[in-house]
Amino acid sequence: MARIIGGIGSSHAPSIGTAWDKGPQREDRWAPVFDGYLPAKHWVEAQRPDLLVIFYNDHMNRFFFDAYPTIALGVGEVHKQADEGWGKRKLPDLRGDPDFAWHLARSLVEQEFDPTICQEMSVDHGILSVLPLFGDAAMTLPVVPIAINVIQHPLPTARRLFRLGEAVRHAIESYKQDKRVLVMGTGGLSHQLHGERYGFFDPDWDNRFMDLLESEPETLAALPHQDWMERGGTEGVEMIIWLAMRAAIGTQVRRVHRNYAVPTTTGLGLLALESL
Amino acid sequence: MDLPGTIVFTGEQSRRGYRINRMAMSLTDAANRASFVADEAGYMRGMGMDDDEIGMVGRRDWHGMLQHGGSIYLLIKIAGALGVSIQEVGRHTSGRAEGH
Repeated sequence: MARIIGGIGSSHAPSIGTAWDKGPQREDRWAPVFDGYLPAKHWVEAQRPDLLVIFYNDHMNRFFFDAYPTIALGVGEVHKQADEGWGKRKLPDLRGDPDFAWHLARSLVEQEFDPTICQEMSVDHGILSVLPLFGDAAMTLPVVPIAINVIQHPLPTARRLFRLGEAVRHAIESYKQDKRVLVMGTGGLSHQLHGERYGFFDPDWDNRFMDLLESEPETLAALPHQDWMERGGTEGVEMIIWLAMRAAIGTQVRRVHRNYAVPTTTGLGLLALESL
Repeated sequence: MDLPGTIVFTGEQSRRGYRINRMAMSLTDAANRASFVADEAGYMRGMGMDDDEIGMVGRRDWHGMLQHGGSIYLLIKIAGALGVSIQEVGRHTSGRAEGH
């Protein structure tokens, strides 16, 4: 039977990928970010996952408003890198796991979640700005991506995503093959990219969010979008994606690692939790 | 939803900005980016944008595009093709740029 080993919550941003790709020429201001991933990377390596389920959001790269899914599930053999408008990074395509992904699709629909099922699902920095930080081995693991609409309102509620995470947990635990599954949720933390509040972020809210995500996720699940956007900026509403990860890994967890760093103008968070 | 200093990307915004957003989405293809840069107005006309919309892009009026329903995630693709950084777009839409 498949088993959930734990979860990772992480910010995502194009700037993480740009800074990372400089390799030996990486700037010093990024060291607190990249060094901050090492304990989580070592834990993941020791846990030897066979499969990654990643909740994230696409940023108008795979999906457009001609037909915009609220929840989309990638069931293909391969997930290619999307061109975000400025060319692709030098990264390998990600592997999928169609057998598991179709099981997940069947299980979710039985549980009354209806994702858009995608046999082709190119992925963007929502996954690819984070995954390389977990090492080359992580980049070769099969990935099942679940994209959430956090861009075009009406958005799914925080509670809806929490329940989606619970349904994904049930699906993983009912999968017959022996798999060690790591769940990730990416987004945020607080930030705003436009309007008079451009550049807004709030380290206090970011850290309070990570406290509550670990210990009282139901409190966060009850917050309406207006609260998320007031406290964390319009684009900071992405933080609700972490709730799906949190619900998927079960109620009893142990914190393995946590990091928060501000390399440029926005805080980047990381939280690694082990399922008990 | 009411948030001062913010445009919430609602269905109304998405409907209004559909043509400009669709043009921006096409710029995820390198050949399209080259065509756009070579003849901005011609490319936008071919994508079905109207004269007001073409004018906003021509003036690099990021604030206007945002008001008109442009999604920030798509406007930065237009900016990227034109060699404008997201910081410049942000300064303009926040009213912190000169001449705005």
